[in-house]
Amino acid sequence: MIIESSNQVPRVTLLKRFPVPRNFKVTPQSRIEKGRKWAAPAGASRTKTFEIYRYDPESEANPRIDLFEVDLDDCGPMVLDALIWIKNKVDSTLAFRRSCREGVCGSCAMNMDGTNWLACTRFISDMSKTATIYPLANLPIIKDLVPDTTHLFAQYEMIEPWLHAETPTPEKERLQSPQERSNLDGYYECILCFCCTSGCPSHWWNGDRFLGPAALLQAWRWLADSRDEAKEERLDTLEDPFRLYRCHTILNCTRTCPKGLNPGKAIAEIKKMVIEREA
Amino acid sequence: MASKDRRSPLARARGLGSARGGVNHWWAERVSAIALVPLTLWFLGSIIAHAGSDYAAFIGWLKTPLASISMVLLLLALFHHTALGLQVVIEDYVHSSAKFGAVIMVRLGCIALASAGITAVLRIAFSW
Amino acid sequence: MDPKPPISDMTVARPRPLSPNIQIYRPQLTSVLSIANRITGVMLSLGAVGLVIWLTAAAMGPRVYGEVHAVIASWGGRIILFGFTFAFFMHLCGGIRHLVWDTVHGFELRWIYISGWAVVVGSIALTWVTWTVSLLLAG
Repeated sequence: MIIESSNQVPRVTLLKRFPVPRNFKVTPQSRIEKGRKWAAPAGASRTKTFEIYRYDPESEANPRIDLFEVDLDDCGPMVLDALIWIKNKVDSTLAFRRSCREGVCGSCAMNMDGTNWLACTRFISDMSKTATIYPLANLPIIKDLVPDTTHLFAQYEMIEPWLHAETPTPEKERLQSPQERSNLDGYYECILCFCCTSGCPSHWWNGDRFLGPAALLQAWRWLADSRDEAKEERLDTLEDPFRLYRCHTILNCTRTCPKGLNPGKAIAEIKKMVIEREA
Repeated sequence: MASKDRRSPLARARGLGSARGGVNHWWAERVSAIALVPLTLWFLGSIIAHAGSDYAAFIGWLKTPLASISMVLLLLALFHHTALGLQVVIEDYVHSSAKFGAVIMVRLGCIALASAGITAVLRIAFSW
Repeated sequence: MDPKPPISDMTVARPRPLSPNIQIYRPQLTSVLSIANRITGVMLSLGAVGLVIWLTAAAMGPRVYGEVHAVIASWGGRIILFGFTFAFFMHLCGGIRHLVWDTVHGFELRWIYISGWAVVVGSIALTWVTWTVSLLLAG
């Protein structure tokens, strides 16, 4: 019951979903309908059923859930391997983003068994009996498991994720002690997969104005950088009842980060820095 | 889709810009919370200690300077914290124009209730 | 050359569906305790109103106070009071957990979970102690 790191899959399920109606606040075009079942090829002995969210933008239909029976002896151990197997052997129209297949690019971020993670680092054996795969939560869907992250990247662009320095570029490098460099540890490693922002309830309700954990973690990365000279402007941009203070320390972000980073802590550091310049 | 939003993604994200404020609300919520920890525990302890007392004993306790001052402080901290907390809840879930009206009603209601409560405490402290 | 329109531009046949959020996202200790802190907070707001009613009744003399006291001491009143006590302790313990986080401590997942379960266990234990002591003292 005590989770030590974010890659721990929960063993006990007390509540599978919040007790809200199935289509709570769902617009008519987002309503999910029943889809079709794709049986495993003949001769498959070890199979597992995957429920996968599907959406075809070129048809008039609503999103649906398709059932796929995957031959586990014919595909690799990770959920991404299962998706690639389905695309190769069963339904080639299944759309999903993927690239590095080793948990460093952030492309295959999706919601598996109710939590956001990277498909390439999630073991099939850690999934529940019927594995459910949805796209990242609360995002417009382009097709199947491919979300439109334009707004999330716009929020990232807004915090100006580059070095602000008026001091002219030195001959060699801008100096930084090992201690100062260590302040970036745990923040520079973000791969912008947006698992955290997509899993934040505050971003679900106020995502148009609340920046979300990913953008705020990166905002802290630049605030913590000793070489950056624009702390005042950065804090002015962030200090807003919605941009920063919609964070109520729910901490779904830290729980779900596939790189083990701590956006909740970064946001607390920003709030602390805002207080420090007041007093 | 009634009104088409033709803004660029960056314009949409920027919105009306940063309010460059908001820390005061956050700080006041924390300060009132810190005050409420000892005040509410004192109140709870007093109620438990007086469980089963009659009206005269209860009033006799509430008249004492320590009890009446603590009760006034409790009401001030409690309704300040309540007003701030409920404002955040309304801002989170209400996005229509009703939001401003709701926040105003909550604030004024908390001021009214705090005043009523403090008046009651002072009446007990000074008249009986 | 014209820049490409943003991908979320509404030039597709119809608006894109939104992927489900609270409808499918797994409740975890993080989100459950957070919403519990909010729900108990709103409940305590109602309790604050009750506190003012109770104080006003006390200031209006023994007869009015007696009527209000009778309602509180009834079975329905006691159940509500029990609920309020639990809400109070849950919001108090949760609030202290939040105050610790505001000092930027206790953010490692291990401590998030340990403190979270401590809030749950603490709320139940403190409610039980309070009511046992009260009932014993009241006779």
